[in-house]
Amino acid sequence: MSDTAGKPALLDRLIADGTIVALIVVWWLIARQLPTYVLPGPYDVLQSLARFVTDGATAFNAFVSLTRVVASVLIAMVMGVLIALAVQAAPILNATVERRLLVFLSSFPSVGWAILGVVWFKISTPTVLFIQTAIILPFCIVNALAGFRQLDQELDEMGRSMTRSPVRRFFKLTLPLIAPFLVAGLRIAYGICWKIALVSELFGASSGLGYLLMNAQSTSDAAMVFACCLVIVVIYTATDYLLLKPLAERFSVNQGLQT
Amino acid sequence: MRAFIIQHLSRAWSSGTVLAHLFTVAFLLAWWGYSFIVPAYQLPGPGLVATRAIAFLQDSDEFAQLLLSLAHVSIAIAAAFVIGSLLAALAHYVRPLRLLIDGRLTPFLNAFSAIGWLFLAMLWFGLDSFTVIFAVTLILIPFTIINVRTGLQELDADLIELGRSLSRNPLQVGVRIVVPLLVPYLFASLRNSFGVSWKVVLTAELFGGSGGVGFLLNIARQQFDTETIFAIIGFILCFVAFSEIILFRPIQRHLDRSYGRV
Repeated sequence: MSDTAGKPALLDRLIADGTIVALIVVWWLIARQLPTYVLPGPYDVLQSLARFVTDGATAFNAFVSLTRVVASVLIAMVMGVLIALAVQAAPILNATVERRLLVFLSSFPSVGWAILGVVWFKISTPTVLFIQTAIILPFCIVNALAGFRQLDQELDEMGRSMTRSPVRRFFKLTLPLIAPFLVAGLRIAYGICWKIALVSELFGASSGLGYLLMNAQSTSDAAMVFACCLVIVVIYTATDYLLLKPLAERFSVNQGLQT
Repeated sequence: MRAFIIQHLSRAWSSGTVLAHLFTVAFLLAWWGYSFIVPAYQLPGPGLVATRAIAFLQDSDEFAQLLLSLAHVSIAIAAAFVIGSLLAALAHYVRPLRLLIDGRLTPFLNAFSAIGWLFLAMLWFGLDSFTVIFAVTLILIPFTIINVRTGLQELDADLIELGRSLSRNPLQVGVRIVVPLLVPYLFASLRNSFGVSWKVVLTAELFGGSGGVGFLLNIARQQFDTETIFAIIGFILCFVAFSEIILFRPIQRHLDRSYGRV
C-alpha cells in the first residue's frame, strides 16, 4: 500500500461520515412509517441506550458480561499455553493434540456446548464460563502451539546455560518470545467470545447482556435489542482499540525486524 | 517379517499416531464408563447415541433437516462471499469509498454480535429459513471482507503492471491476473466461513428457524432427549472434521505448493 500514510483526505472523511449520517436519516424516515416493535427509530434506541448509563441494574448486566468474557479468555489462554507446553515437553503428544483434541474442539458446534453446559451444570456463572471457555479454547491452542513452534532452539539453549530453573526460564525467556502469538490469540478469542460465545448467556445465565437480549426479545422490546447490540459494539471496539490493539502492536511478530 | 512389524510399530509409536489412537480409545472408554455412573439424560453412553444416530439417518424427515441445515450454510457462505468480495473490491478500486468501508463499515460489522443479528432478523422476518440465512450471512461478511481485502493489498504490483503492458482491457487483466493471484485468499475466506458458519447456524436455527438440525436440537432440549442432542452434535462434528480433512487441507496443501514463493 502506497497511500495509507498520513491522515485520510477531507473528501474521504466527508464521504465516510456523510454516508453514516445519511443512513441514520434514512433509518429515521423508515422507522417513522413502521411500528416501534419492528423498527424503532434512532431516538427510541438512544433512550434504551441511556438506560445503560442511568439504570444501575442494566449497566450491571453489561459489566457482568464483560467480566465473564475476560475471565473465559484468560482461562482458555492459560489452558492453551499449558497444552502447548505439554506438547513442547513431550513432542509425541503432538499428533494427539493436533489431530484429535483440536479437530474435536474446533468442529464442536457452539450451541452444543451451551445446551450440554446447562444439562450438566445448573444455570450459573461457572456454567457460562465453561461454555465460553470450551468455545474459544481451540483458537487459544492453535496460537499457543504456533508460538512454541517458532521458538528458537539456540535461544533456549542459551537460557539453559544461564539458569537451571525451568520456571525462571519459562517466564524470562519463553513467555516473552511467544508473547506475539499469545496476544494475537487473545485478540481472536476475545472477538469470538463477544460475537459467538455470548450464546452461553442465552441459556446458562440469569444476568448479562445475553440475558438482557433474551428478555428484550421475548417482550418484543426492539429498541432494547438494538441498544444491546450497540452496547456490545461499543464495549468490544473500545476494549480492542484501547487495550488489545496497543498490546498487539507492542508485541508485534516483526518486533526488532526492519519492515 | 517380525522385525518388519516391530520396526513399523516403533515408527508409528514415535510419530505419535499410536498415542493418538490410544487417546481416542481411552476417550470412548471413559465416556462409556462414566455413562454408567450418571443418569442417561445427563450423559447417554456411546451405544445409545450410536443407535439414535442410525435411527436418525434412517428417518427421512430427520435426514431432510440435516440437508436443510447444509442448505442454510451453503447459501449463507455464497451470499457472504459475493457481498464481502464486492465490498472489498469497492474499497480497493474506488478510492473515495475506502475510508467508508475500511474505517467505518468493516469495524462495525466485525464488532456486531451474532446473537444481535439473529434477534434483529427474528423481529424483522419472523421464524423461517430467511432469518437463519440472513443472520449467518451478516456474521460471515466481515470475515470475507478482511480476507479479500488483505489479498488485494498484497497483490504484486509488478505483476499487475506486466498485465497492463500485455493488455489494455481491465477486464482481461482482472480475470487473467488479479483473480488467479487472489485464489489463496479467496480460499482462506471460504475455509474460514465454513468453520464459523457451522458454529453459528445451529444457534440461528434453534432460536430463529422453523427447520434444520438446530430446530431439532431445541425440541430435544425441551424434552431432555440428550441422546438426540449427542447424535446431532456427532453429525456436525463428523461433517466439519471430514470436510476439513478430505476437502480443505488437501486444497490448502496444493495451493501452498503452487503459490509458495521460493
